[in-house]
Amino acid sequence: MDEVATKIIDILKKHMKEPRDDIGLNTALTDLKIESLDLAMIVFDIEDSFGIEIPYNANEEAADFKTVGSVVDRVRALMSGAAAAKA
Amino acid sequence: MVVTGMGVVTPIGTTVADFWASCRAGRSGVGPLGGFPLEDLKILIAAQIKDFDHKARLKHFRRDKIIIHADRYSWFAAAAADEAIKQAGLEAPFQNPYRTACIIGSGAGGLVTFESAYRDLFILNKRATHPLTLLRIIGSSAAAHVGIEYGVKGPTFATCSACSTAAHAIGLGRDYIRAGLIDLAIVGASESVINYGTMKAWQAMHVLSPQGCFPFAKKRNGTVLGEGAGVLVLESEEHAKARGAKVLAELCGFGMTSDSKDMVNPDIDGPSEAMRLALADARVATTDIDYINAHGTATTINDRNETNAIKKVFGAHAGQLAISSTKSMHGHPLGAGGAIEAIASLKAMEENWVPPTIGLDEPDPECDLDYVPNMGREKRVTYAMSNSFAFGGLNAVLVFGPPPA
Repeated sequence: MDEVATKIIDILKKHMKEPRDDIGLNTALTDLKIESLDLAMIVFDIEDSFGIEIPYNANEEAADFKTVGSVVDRVRALMSGAAAAKA
Repeated sequence: MVVTGMGVVTPIGTTVADFWASCRAGRSGVGPLGGFPLEDLKILIAAQIKDFDHKARLKHFRRDKIIIHADRYSWFAAAAADEAIKQAGLEAPFQNPYRTACIIGSGAGGLVTFESAYRDLFILNKRATHPLTLLRIIGSSAAAHVGIEYGVKGPTFATCSACSTAAHAIGLGRDYIRAGLIDLAIVGASESVINYGTMKAWQAMHVLSPQGCFPFAKKRNGTVLGEGAGVLVLESEEHAKARGAKVLAELCGFGMTSDSKDMVNPDIDGPSEAMRLALADARVATTDIDYINAHGTATTINDRNETNAIKKVFGAHAGQLAISSTKSMHGHPLGAGGAIEAIASLKAMEENWVPPTIGLDEPDPECDLDYVPNMGREKRVTYAMSNSFAFGGLNAVLVFGPPPA
């Protein structure tokens, strides 16, 4: 796993009542018992850590946030977008 | 309507036992202001709570998953409610959740969160506030947190009436029980607003003392900001009896009025009418009252006005009353005051010992009643009154009596 994935998993663990060590890219967020308020805090932390803004509305089903891997992919895409904007 | 539980968080004790031990010892919670950069502040004292470990006090909370991330004012409310509910011998979730109320007010809600969020945005140019900012700020969050933890599904909201907030919450809970809407109510208020912006705002009102909180004293020169929470468990007599609860006292009278006159200058009619209504509601005579826990803020105008209002209501009996302002010890906890002071009144009844007004070396000649100066004393207290008179002229008075025979 690369640095982005490791960082994201650390953030997820920080927001879990009982952090697990078996979280991988295929782990579904629903398996981590992450509720909507937790998700808002996780998004906030990810944005802060990576200097990005994740378009996310708690009223909508977010396909991007189904698994840990989908979150990592989304963050990576936003990071390259941010880098391209700066270039 | 009976009281079966009480809980407090104050600068002179973060449980009822510790709070009362401090009252017994005549201890002051006023000290040097701290906890944030004081910058250009001129008033440098407050009654702050320094020994409150929210993680330790609230670690057993289960249903409310985010209490640890809440504003400090919600922590105080949660800890006070927890103590009150435990004393009442109740277990969560409550048996009849829709017949239970949770009315916990706050004068200002999560003002400390508000200031830090705005600092982040306007000074530190942060891109966003913390996601829990809104939930921390709202003035109903303490009531909601407590309601979630204990499974309260009936009327749940906050009252807001500055320094009368708690007394209004307690009175409303009682009225709901009396009206038959509910059987049980968790009532009180919480406040925690001591920060740079609050100190500046109060400083600009020119009502804070730079030296200390000395109610009814000649030397008094303003109030001292405090913080804390007080919560009572109220229930109908039948409800308490049916579950074999120990009854601490009866909440037998409640009176509320508004001066409808001035935001800061109280008049005699509003407060005296609130006291008169509370006595009439309790169906007791003026001569039945043994102790008054005064609003006693140590501002020039409040203490004189309250003295005159007491004289107007009690007549010749005014001189027989033991009157004290426990704010001399715990400072002015704003919205939470009425609940903390109701608990001081209940303890006075339980132990037949009236708490002192400390710092009262020389009384103001215009404040000439018995304010129990400096030393508390033994006195039979069968009925006690607790006064709350708020900015805006909003008055709320509670009368407590012995457990029904």
